[in-house]
Amino acid sequence: MKISLKWLNDYVDIAEFLTEPARLARALIDAGLEVEAIENQAENFKNVVTGHIIELGRHPNADKLTLCQVDTGEGRPRQIVCGAKNHKQGDKVVVALPGAVLPGNFAIQLSKIRDVESQGMLCSETELGLKTESEGIVILPKETKVGQAFAQFSGRDDVFFEVNVTPNRADCLSHLGLAREISCLLDRKLKVPTTELKAGTKKNLIDVKLHDRDLCTRYTGRSIFGIKVAASPDWLRDRLTSVGVNSINNIVDVTNFVMLEFGQPLHAFDADALKGHYLSIEKAKAKEKFKSFDGTEFELKGDELTIRDKERAVALAGVVGGLNSGVTDATTNIFLEVAHFSPKGVRRTSRKLGVETDSSLRFSRGTDPEALLTVVDRAMGLIQQLAGGEVSKDYVDLNPAPIERQAIKVKVAHVGERLGYPVESAEFVAWMKRLHCKTKVTHEKASPSKGTVAKESGDVVTVEAPSYRVDIENEIDLIEEFARLNGYDKIPESFPQVVSRPLDHAATYVHEERIANLISQEGYFEARNYNFVNPKWQNEIYETEKFNKLGLSAGGVAVPILNPLSEDTSVMRQTLLCGLLTNVLHNYNRGETAGRLFETGFVFGKATQEAGASYIEPHRFALVCWGAKADLWSKGQAPAVFEIKSTIQTLARRLRGKLDFRAMTANEVPAIAHPGQVASLFYEGKTIGFIGALHPALRDEFKIRTDVAIGEVDLTALMRGQPRVPKTQPISKFQSVERDFALVMPTSLAVGEVVREIEKSGAPLLQSVHVFDVFKGGNFTEGQQSVAFRVILQDQAATLSDAQVQAATQKILAALEKKFSIKPR
Amino acid sequence: MLKDQIIAIEKAAKDAFEGATDPKGLYDLKVKYLGKQGDFSLLMREFGKLPPAEKPAMGQSINEAKNRLEEVYARVEKKLKHAETSAAIEKERLDLTLPGPERAAGARHPIAMVINEITQILARVGFSVRHGPMIETDRNNFTALNIPEDHPSRDLQDTFYIDDKHVLRTQTSPIQIRTLEIEKPPFRIIAPGAVFRCDSDISHSPNFYQIEGMLVDHKVSMADLRGTLLYFVQEFMGKDTKTRFRPSFFPFTEPSAEVDCSCPICKGKGCRMCKQSGWIEIGGSGLVNPKVLAHCGLDPEEWQGFAFGFGVERMAIIKYAIDDIRNFSENDLRFLRQF
Repeated sequence: MKISLKWLNDYVDIAEFLTEPARLARALIDAGLEVEAIENQAENFKNVVTGHIIELGRHPNADKLTLCQVDTGEGRPRQIVCGAKNHKQGDKVVVALPGAVLPGNFAIQLSKIRDVESQGMLCSETELGLKTESEGIVILPKETKVGQAFAQFSGRDDVFFEVNVTPNRADCLSHLGLAREISCLLDRKLKVPTTELKAGTKKNLIDVKLHDRDLCTRYTGRSIFGIKVAASPDWLRDRLTSVGVNSINNIVDVTNFVMLEFGQPLHAFDADALKGHYLSIEKAKAKEKFKSFDGTEFELKGDELTIRDKERAVALAGVVGGLNSGVTDATTNIFLEVAHFSPKGVRRTSRKLGVETDSSLRFSRGTDPEALLTVVDRAMGLIQQLAGGEVSKDYVDLNPAPIERQAIKVKVAHVGERLGYPVESAEFVAWMKRLHCKTKVTHEKASPSKGTVAKESGDVVTVEAPSYRVDIENEIDLIEEFARLNGYDKIPESFPQVVSRPLDHAATYVHEERIANLISQEGYFEARNYNFVNPKWQNEIYETEKFNKLGLSAGGVAVPILNPLSEDTSVMRQTLLCGLLTNVLHNYNRGETAGRLFETGFVFGKATQEAGASYIEPHRFALVCWGAKADLWSKGQAPAVFEIKSTIQTLARRLRGKLDFRAMTANEVPAIAHPGQVASLFYEGKTIGFIGALHPALRDEFKIRTDVAIGEVDLTALMRGQPRVPKTQPISKFQSVERDFALVMPTSLAVGEVVREIEKSGAPLLQSVHVFDVFKGGNFTEGQQSVAFRVILQDQAATLSDAQVQAATQKILAALEKKFSIKPR
Repeated sequence: MLKDQIIAIEKAAKDAFEGATDPKGLYDLKVKYLGKQGDFSLLMREFGKLPPAEKPAMGQSINEAKNRLEEVYARVEKKLKHAETSAAIEKERLDLTLPGPERAAGARHPIAMVINEITQILARVGFSVRHGPMIETDRNNFTALNIPEDHPSRDLQDTFYIDDKHVLRTQTSPIQIRTLEIEKPPFRIIAPGAVFRCDSDISHSPNFYQIEGMLVDHKVSMADLRGTLLYFVQEFMGKDTKTRFRPSFFPFTEPSAEVDCSCPICKGKGCRMCKQSGWIEIGGSGLVNPKVLAHCGLDPEEWQGFAFGFGVERMAIIKYAIDDIRNFSENDLRFLRQF
């Protein structure tokens, strides 16, 4: 909200802050009213002064220019070239001196015009930014004192605060409200504005019926007869425009002015436009059409509170007035409405129809129900002053159930306890009084019986807050008031006593940290993508059935957002690969021909029947790896998909879990994966994810000319039973034995299957098995390959004999021949 | 006679040894002169023929000659081996300014780094991490936090709605509600996580991160809150950091305070980061509103608490001098490699 300091000064003396506004801003900020910006109007007229043309002559080199000697109060006249025609010797003028910056960033400097030096500029109203059009330069009154700053001379030296009023401080959404706050902070007198008013003899013209006591707690108004609608006088127009409100006419301007003054919205009806000279406050009719004063048409639902005459809605209560009943140039009789509408109702109407007005903002924050008649009279007085007319002798004041405010009991001991420093009753009471609260101090004695008010003895202050402080409801509200007024800087910095035993961290956090640290140590950079994605993109990647079978279920369809910012962020993600593949593309297109990224996070789905939650958020991690590193030493690198495989294997090893990579049948492979370079992850009895190369077609579509590998894993499943504590075994004192053998096998047989069989049949002597060579071509027919294995055998209790080694090797080979019909080379 | 032979062989051997060019050749010479079939061994045959009276003196001469030759051998061998090692060193010389094999070095995301650092600092004084769902009930995200239905922050333009009862959480504070309802006080928790607002421009991301802390105990004051925050910012920003409280309004705390800390970059002198003020706004805080405690079934006369929350991106921006919030979600390697 824009606040004028000169305007504020009408209600509380703050004149000294016009030159030092930052000090006042600090005081407001320290009390919880954030001053976001300070605008100094005089800054616009820096180096602009009043001057006197003491000599006027022709420019020697130009017929159309004059050469003036201008006294600007500097002791020595300035020579100024001027192209205007309306000035003469002896005129008082406005001079922009070098250093002035006029509107439009027009900097004035010493210059030569047609070889003659000009030491400034005589200004027109347009050049000063006062009007959009003007003729000639400004000629000031004869008696004008020379050398005055133009800002002060013309009264354009106001200072404006942009105040960010928090939602609880409805009472500060006005100049008077803010002045009241300042009067409390600085302990200065508050001057509440009133206008003299001559009531006439006529009775109020409009008959008002209040039918909805829930949404309208109090309705007041008064009529005025025979007014003349006209333009507002300068003072009113200037006040409104200075805080960004357009001037319309004297009537509308008064209602806006009084609203900005008191924070209470008002509405002026053309009394003769109200059919039957009647108003009723009741809900709208369903599907009823309503046109607001600016011509916007709305269809009402029926739950909006309206002000209606005999035939139709004439205003949306507290939000906006109707075109059918507003003040026009022809209006002569007015009914002025000043009401108290419930914040809830106004907010709902305003939100549903998407209309936010100065009025709806103030009503929805909460207005002062007791100020209504004061406001009526202030506005009526001003209207009478500016537009003439006879004010009705009586008011409308419908107040069927006046809001009663409860007195609040504050235990002074509580104030000190909550703030952490000792507080005396007298200090507390002093601030409450400055807030215009009524206070009464009593002393309560400790009561031995439990459950009664006083557990300990001490002073209790009974506080009645003023009616405009709608936010003050209970003890803690008043403790907060005291705290902020007394100063937050008085709160000491003590450290809480640790009495409670620390709890465990959430498992999701611990697990995610463990995984993320392990993967990043494997050379991957952590990515963080939005949790919502483009549905089309996601549908290319995520296939419900296939991901379900891979242990990566995320509900059936993606969870949509009802009000997304754009299609790109309109559904919740079901796979982390959406984001990571976008990141690959982003980086590849910026010259990163190789890279590794991973992400840990949640995916989203609708829950199945299970009771409790409506949505599920499974925990996942995913990896991408693309390109080959261009390394001085590395030759013959593994394909990217094997890089991912070894990362996940390392992960499983560090987690002390048993992980297998399993071949997939064609119909199990997700469409994004290369059908010939893909494997599912089998972890201790469960499929928990997959790895694979990106499908070549997709790679081409992205124009990525390198290897891309992806993998996604269910984090929760992988972290089952963690942490697993290592249980060590004694180191065997006996030597291990290595045996190598090469097997000829069809390429269709997964080597992993063979390894598993070797592990099974080699027990218990087998310590480990390694694949160290795969050979195709040469003498082998298409579809055949030779795979070389090295097994390491060892006994914990004795040195192995040749016969034992031979027997163990034979047992392995026999098992392989039996199971796969493969033989050594 | 024999004596002359001894002298001749010793001289020949010494000359030969000293003329050797490599250890292998030297060794061959050693075999030739001193070996079992070597010249000295052959001499021993002559020695056998000597009259016994001459034997001791002659034997001594032979042994002395052999010993001298062994010495020469050792000296020459040492010299040759040294030369050989030097040659090898020269041959094996590597330019260690060349790069080593690239061990891929990854890193955590700055968001995660900030969350972890904050967590570690607060875990030392007994705070434990709590998580909550991102699709949150309207009640946990708003009503239970004392944000009634007609509060501005519930406007459509701020909140992403999932259905009429669920939203994408707009703050991490619903985790406070979950903890208050499920766990028995006293406790102290920190809740990091992604939050969502329908707002996207140069300084707002619709998906960003918050971390908040809450302590619930029997007697809790604003002073305790300030002390805890002072400890936190001094650990996070530097020991000479100061804090400042400004009154503010949050529906779920009362009294509420904005937390400023002295600018860690200019140490309070005024710079671009702090807009010349010397202070940086880092988050909101306050005592847990008794209405929130009551809503979660705790008696506000018995239990009190404080809570505070920070924007994680803001912390990262201050700590790592990040100039564009898009960096947090683009996952550009040129950015991520800097951590």
